Amino acid sequence: MADVILNPISLTLLAQSDSPSAALASADASAPAPVVAAMSLADRASEALQSSVGMAILYIAIGLIAVLTVVSVLGLVMSYVERKVAGHFQCRLGPMRVGPHGILQSVADGIKLLFKEGIEPGNGDKVIFIGAPVLSITATILLLAIVPVAPGFQVVDMNVGVVYIAAVSGIGVMGILMGGWSSDNKWSLLGAMRAGAQIISYEVSLTIALLVVVMFSGTMRVSEIIESQQEGWWIWRGHGVAIVAFCLYLIASTAELNRTPFDLPEGESELTGGYHTEYSGLRFSFFFLAEFANLFVFSALAVTFFFGGWLPFHIGNYEGFNNVMDILPPVISPIFWFGTKCTLLIFLLMWFRWTFPRLRMDQLMRLEWKILLPIGFANLIVAATVVITGLYLFPSAT
Amino acid sequence: MATTTPDPNQTDDSPPIDFGDLKSDCVAPRPSIMGQRRGVASILWLSFKGILRGMLTTFSYFRRPSTVVTQQYPENRETLKMFERYRGRLSLIHNEQGQHGCTGCQICERLCPNGSIIVTKDKKNEATGKPALDQFIWRQDTCTFCNVCVLVCPFDTLEMTGDFESSVYDRRLLVFNLNEYAGPTADQLAKLEDEELAKQQMKHMEKYQGPIPMCGGKMDGIPSLDVEKSTDV
Repeated sequence: MADVILNPISLTLLAQSDSPSAALASADASAPAPVVAAMSLADRASEALQSSVGMAILYIAIGLIAVLTVVSVLGLVMSYVERKVAGHFQCRLGPMRVGPHGILQSVADGIKLLFKEGIEPGNGDKVIFIGAPVLSITATILLLAIVPVAPGFQVVDMNVGVVYIAAVSGIGVMGILMGGWSSDNKWSLLGAMRAGAQIISYEVSLTIALLVVVMFSGTMRVSEIIESQQEGWWIWRGHGVAIVAFCLYLIASTAELNRTPFDLPEGESELTGGYHTEYSGLRFSFFFLAEFANLFVFSALAVTFFFGGWLPFHIGNYEGFNNVMDILPPVISPIFWFGTKCTLLIFLLMWFRWTFPRLRMDQLMRLEWKILLPIGFANLIVAATVVITGLYLFPSAT
Repeated sequence: MATTTPDPNQTDDSPPIDFGDLKSDCVAPRPSIMGQRRGVASILWLSFKGILRGMLTTFSYFRRPSTVVTQQYPENRETLKMFERYRGRLSLIHNEQGQHGCTGCQICERLCPNGSIIVTKDKKNEATGKPALDQFIWRQDTCTFCNVCVLVCPFDTLEMTGDFESSVYDRRLLVFNLNEYAGPTADQLAKLEDEELAKQQMKHMEKYQGPIPMCGGKMDGIPSLDVEKSTDV
């Protein structure tokens, strides 16, 4: 089944590349285990580097432009969706004026932000102040590069993908800390300090939750993690352990994203705007874009790790049902499934945001260090037991 | 005598202060939900249930667009129905014959906290022999819409309407008459039995008419009032 789906895509994507067979060569015909059927852009760039530097640069440029486009489109679409969803959760309508049902609202906001004056605080640290939003969005772009949308539809696919995710997601907090520090503003500083404490704390839980899946699939390469879910997503196959890990991931990623109920860094009622109080215009929009792109990235990672990424929804050996799920043409199918799962998860996070009240700082810290972390470690040990004893559901996959 | 207060005359080498039976209150509270102490499993279950209930509540709003309370104001101006309790423009209630029930007792004027109501009356109406309302002047510019006038009116002749479109180009236009005619109340007119005589008692009163403060008055350096300009709404 894997070859049926993957090969046409790899062929279409590799049409301009010199050797589609090289990508497929790595697939071991005898083993049903992970098949890396398509190359990421970075792989192609490094391969092209041996023959011509120009091609390598072209590939890198394509990757960069793709990621930047995704960031800006995500910012536009998701800020609109968020406001609409928030509105209807609160018995409001949300934006209604610009275009039909306010559909052009984010375009109008974007233009407004572009033309606004970029104010710098007089006594602030100018260099850090300007650098902070750039660093913040850089972390997001780096994270987006590893998101696997479809086979081969990925900028970087490295063998230490999970380590990379854990490392790079920590850069974002640096931007926030810099922004808060350099603003010369008590609110900004408090917000940044809260963000720092919060994000660094919850990163532990986040990584521990991801480690469970790494143990299950036995690989750190994100595309292989997806391939390992051909017989069933990890959230089913890993039964209770994976569900606990997913809950941990969901809570920790909400905290990482600074979204309610963990939005202390920018709690409007306490800190005006938190770390971006002093930012305006384009620099503010950088923080804004990073926030929304991060929302997408963390949902996409949850989809990758727990919900089988681009794989369609299958139930064990029910061939009839599985065939219905495979009905989409193989070029669209991965994007459709990935998009659907991501959308649902993003909606879930928005649902959280517009339902729950904000936590207090000490409650936040207690939740992480006294509750989530012990649960996470215990879960990790149970996961190890499950892996050793092979107690997965659908064990035929392994 | 409380043992917790340290003696100011004590020197540094004094023995530590004796707190007696006082114990610190700073102990971690036992986990409890809704006033009851519960076990961990119970707390987890209740928390889960609470979270789920909250999410279902918001989702029930989300999936039913009929719960949206937002009014698309300028577009639905024709069909907009303000809420019963909304306090907009003050109105003197007139019945189908255009007759009001105000006797000019001036209770509202006396009880208005910021003097936004001025009621003038005839001492004695020639037909009914009773005092009759001349002008019910409402100063919308100083009114705080506190609703006291409506509450104290012994004849229930006042009401707050839902009309909120009260912007004008000249603030003198915010002072105007509420009564449509100067004359006796509907009850007194009904007792007259002579319809022609009753009609005569109802002297028509314009919205901007009579010696209303600031309204229509000619002052030095102030342009004369242009009612037409502001009543185009």
